Amino acid sequence: MALAHFSSEPKPLQTAGVLLGLLALVVAVSLFMPPALQRTVVEALIKLTVVIGLYIFVGNSGVFSFGHVAFMALGGYISAVLTIAPAKKAVALNLPPFLEALQLPGGVALLIAIAAAGLIALLVALPLVRLRGIALPMATFALLVITHVVASNWQAVTGGRQALVGLPRYTDLWVAAAGAAVSLIVAALFGMTRHGLALRCSRENEVAAAATGIDISRERLIAFVLSAIIVAIGGVLFGHFLGTMTANTFYLDLTFVTLTMLVIGGMRSLTGACVGVALVSTVSQLFRSIERGVSFGDLTISAPAGLQEIVLAAILLAILILRPHGLVGDWEVTLPLAGQDKKKEI
Amino acid sequence: MIVLQNAIDAISLGAIYALAALGIGLIFSIMRLINFAHGELIMVGGFMLYGLAGQPYIVMALAAILVVSILALGMERLAFRPLRRANPATLLIASFAVSYLVQHIVLITFGARPMGVDFMAQLGESVDIGGLRVPRLQIATIIVTLALMGGLALFFRRSRVGVQMRAAAEDFTMARLVGVRANLVFAVAFAISGVLASIVSLYLVTQTGSVSYKMGVSMVLIAFVASVIGGMGSLTGAALGGFLVGIVSVSLQAYLPVDMRPYRDAFVFLLFIAFLLWRPQGLLVRRADRERV
Amino acid sequence: MLAVGNLHVSYGSIVALRGVSLQVGEGEIVAVIGPNGAGKSTLLLTIAGIVRAKQGSIEFAGGSVTGAAPERLVSSGLSLVPEGRHIFGSLTVAENIALGATTRSDRAAIAADTERVLDLFPVLRERLRQRAGKLSGGEQQMLAIARALLAKPRLLLLDEPSLGLAPLVVKQVYDSIEELRRGGVTILIVEQSVGRALKVADRTYVLNSGAVTISGRSAELQGTAAFDTAYFGAMSGARAP
Repeated sequence: MALAHFSSEPKPLQTAGVLLGLLALVVAVSLFMPPALQRTVVEALIKLTVVIGLYIFVGNSGVFSFGHVAFMALGGYISAVLTIAPAKKAVALNLPPFLEALQLPGGVALLIAIAAAGLIALLVALPLVRLRGIALPMATFALLVITHVVASNWQAVTGGRQALVGLPRYTDLWVAAAGAAVSLIVAALFGMTRHGLALRCSRENEVAAAATGIDISRERLIAFVLSAIIVAIGGVLFGHFLGTMTANTFYLDLTFVTLTMLVIGGMRSLTGACVGVALVSTVSQLFRSIERGVSFGDLTISAPAGLQEIVLAAILLAILILRPHGLVGDWEVTLPLAGQDKKKEI
Repeated sequence: MIVLQNAIDAISLGAIYALAALGIGLIFSIMRLINFAHGELIMVGGFMLYGLAGQPYIVMALAAILVVSILALGMERLAFRPLRRANPATLLIASFAVSYLVQHIVLITFGARPMGVDFMAQLGESVDIGGLRVPRLQIATIIVTLALMGGLALFFRRSRVGVQMRAAAEDFTMARLVGVRANLVFAVAFAISGVLASIVSLYLVTQTGSVSYKMGVSMVLIAFVASVIGGMGSLTGAALGGFLVGIVSVSLQAYLPVDMRPYRDAFVFLLFIAFLLWRPQGLLVRRADRERV
Repeated sequence: MLAVGNLHVSYGSIVALRGVSLQVGEGEIVAVIGPNGAGKSTLLLTIAGIVRAKQGSIEFAGGSVTGAAPERLVSSGLSLVPEGRHIFGSLTVAENIALGATTRSDRAAIAADTERVLDLFPVLRERLRQRAGKLSGGEQQMLAIARALLAKPRLLLLDEPSLGLAPLVVKQVYDSIEELRRGGVTILIVEQSVGRALKVADRTYVLNSGAVTISGRSAELQGTAAFDTAYFGAMSGARAP
């Protein structure tokens, strides 16, 4: 019964190739956009990185995580502490002297931040991956809340509830695209490994997978850590895009938006994750413009702020009701070679 | 003395958490839906009170209860009934979406700033009981909770619909096979959870004197934790979980070193994770929940 | 009483029933037997309205009930006792029996029927106030049948009533099935135990891999080579136990 639903991705390299190609296309087009629109694309690319990171765990294992945004915060705050000018840190924070004096180049800080995120993910997930059923998602929820409480209150390190300013804003179109590309490649490669395969088996039927010798806990651990690292990259890039880190940003709303992007597209495929991000970003941008007011000659149409979120939530509900597997379902995009169809599994 | 004071704090807080957890647990036991939007039921209850400020308290309260119950029924009809056959993860995301939706509708309508509401302010006064100063609100909370739980217990034991719901909670398909009407069971469950949510909102508004569009969020998170601890699907468990979380919360508040107190919620959730590792199925397990291979 | 025509049922991409047709006449006991995975349970679940058929028709008591909700079928007189008994363990025996009458409102008649099933299964009378989960397998089976009877069914569907029960208990259960027939209840029974099925049923259908391979009067089927082939498949030469 289980293996009949197993969806094989016959051409993961092709999928990655096509998606990377589309990414390059987006970047090329964005070069000609007005700065405001370009910023939207940059933000979308950062979210893409995060959502792909989310997919690595949620998509392959079938287990929902609500805690990934915590790793965004982790990555972002670590990079912040390592890159903000010492003078600013002295004022806003209360760090041990060597940390206060430290100011590293962005790239180095990024690497340290994601390494730390990976390590923490490993330590945290080690006991948690044993959990089955609803317990693991609930535990990730707890992680989110704990991180939020700590980030909001640890004045000395994070600035508490106030925005921590002074991050060098190095995330431009190229950096964000690079981040997205890296996450795409990592996700595609992971999907090809034995681990990705084993995890997807457990997604279909836990009992059967365990019976064939798959160590579900270990596979989930590997995916979780990898996912956390990619998500942390997204967090670092996000912080250096905004130039500030605020604890409240990394909580339920962002969790909802990223999960929505994953689910709308189709959480079981990489293509789905990308489609979801593209769709949600487009709808958001559309409504942002409408909220600002669109003028047709003498007529100006505008909508109250907050309409965007309502529409998003309504679309998500509609998709869940009408197409529960997301817009793309299990499909992966491939190159249309002679005689090959897009592989579709229910 | 202080211990007694804390004990009463703990019990009254636990009572509210128990009511919130019951609202979540009731729906879950029948539908396998973790209703994240329960927080918004609480929130809308609060805003009903805001909208009717100045009216006699009884009118405000009844209106809140009525409107929230109708909203709950609406949620069931529009969002959750079409998803009845979906898996728990989909249901959870859907409830997340409903929550987000309702939050932002209220945000557009009323704005983001918290707004003051005067509701039963006299309950803020304290009463002298044997040397202890006990806020009237706490006494009222404990009494109301006990009454509600007693009423629910009677309903589930004695009434036809109540027994049908217990059957549906244990084995939904089999319940349908003896003729229990699925639609009725769901509607009643949501209506009851709406009533429970509105009572929680009455407490919150009396306690804090204000409403904001995010006021339901922290309560619903606690309600989850309480339900999971008690054992999702067990109503007594949800109530038990609520009281436990209340006790732990108040104890932490009282006995944590002062500079650690802002992190109280982090400790609560840390303990929650520890609990999950120890007993993930919850304290009171329902036999029917074990997965059949 | 029941006419199933060309039923096609699939779970996702797995086909469970391919073009199954069967009839059950009033007052008959009809058995459906077949190897594991043949689709027998699916057949009953589809008739009872839990599973949706892709194609095909179901007629009950002269009216079409294809796609009807289980609740409606129960009030029309169709009652299913599913495989594994599925009694409500956290409820008392009395509550379980009372639930059988969910779709009825005639208090006096319900009380009378309750007495009758308790006469039929005296062991239940002793355990009325106990939690149903504490009953033994055989007692639970009887409770499940008692509960189904409270719905005053015209057609009773039984899915593997002897599963997991000791031989002595099985005999008790089948004695009560005979009593039911004497009381005028039409019965469609799915059975693992071929011998029992052929003994109790007027007519028998053999289901294999989702299709009816042979059917006829039980007495005529028993022991024939055609029956063996139909049950075990074309390769077998073994006799049915």
